[in-house]
Amino acid sequence: MQNLMQHFEIIQKTPTLYALHVSIETLFNTLHHLRYQSDFITLSQLTCTDWIEEERFELGYMLTNLERNCNLMVKCFIGRDDVTVASVVTLFPQAEVMERELHEMFGVGFEGNDTLYDFALEDWQDLPPMRREFDTLAYVQSHYDFRDGRDDNLDVKEQIKIRKAAAKSAKEAQGGA
Amino acid sequence: MEEGFNAYRQSLESEEQSIKSTQSVVEQAIAWFRAHSMFVLAYGTGCGAIEMPPTFTSRYDIERLGVVGVATPRQADILIVSGYCSPKTLKRVIRSYEQMSDPKYIIGLGSCTINGGMYWDSYNTIKKLDDFLPVDMYVNGCMPRPEALIEGFVKLQEKIRLNSSEAGYIKYRDNYAHYRANQERLFGAQVAPSYEENFAGMN
Repeated sequence: MQNLMQHFEIIQKTPTLYALHVSIETLFNTLHHLRYQSDFITLSQLTCTDWIEEERFELGYMLTNLERNCNLMVKCFIGRDDVTVASVVTLFPQAEVMERELHEMFGVGFEGNDTLYDFALEDWQDLPPMRREFDTLAYVQSHYDFRDGRDDNLDVKEQIKIRKAAAKSAKEAQGGA
Repeated sequence: MEEGFNAYRQSLESEEQSIKSTQSVVEQAIAWFRAHSMFVLAYGTGCGAIEMPPTFTSRYDIERLGVVGVATPRQADILIVSGYCSPKTLKRVIRSYEQMSDPKYIIGLGSCTINGGMYWDSYNTIKKLDDFLPVDMYVNGCMPRPEALIEGFVKLQEKIRLNSSEAGYIKYRDNYAHYRANQERLFGAQVAPSYEENFAGMN
């Protein structure tokens, strides 16, 4: 770790978590270096965060080391529209299914991954559903029917008060009798 | 009105009387056999599937009621749709249901099958199962305990013994156009081949 910190701008977040920000051009080479020249040989997570206000995505490659006691998050900002990132399937075979999921949920392209077709959603025509401009409620209301009688978020405080008062007066009447 | 065991016995006897008045002896016998050998397709769609292993194994031991798990839809009588159901799963559920032989029944387990449950605003779960398949018995709860599932089976046994024309597979056959329209609306071009020709020679 000390050796890596001399070469990369690694920030320590917690005793077991480190973070490293790289640009999209150096992403693959950095991961390649970490995979073959350091302890961080496992890709345990591949995440994507939608910063819609800043109009960018943030990819996060969570790498775990050989002793399984330390994680390194390699982060990279990418654009939101029609972005293609180099796939890391050649470095980490398990990245295949993670990239496939990100492609389906966010619409991020991965160059070199051949499995970017339907995953959990079949025949999905709309926007990728995890993008923040996707309006989930409007989609649900236009595609599914709700059963009558289900009303959410009703203000039931008054109802509860009335019910409690009725129960109390009934109890008092019973006690009096 | 008596209470306790006597009331239960009397209710059973009165039900027995009503069955006897409407069915012949052979029909009664067939319905009795059906009600006491319910073969359940060992298939789970959602989190409700986790309540089925304890129901079927030694702790709750539902085999004492004649309920057994089987591996293929061809042998099964009961399909339990256990919990939330995404359109992708529903396609498989419909295919499995259509492969089962009559008489067949569906139990909807958990709130999700009734009105969406906690997934009411999810883009990938259906909200009303009975739009797409005829549900004979709903067991509500999130999740229902195995006791609730057993109660659902017992109620379904009563329903089977009454041998009514309200049974789900008859409803599916009679209102196939309605169910098919809903399935087509949800799945679009990916809908399964029509099942209608299998109804030829029935009724």
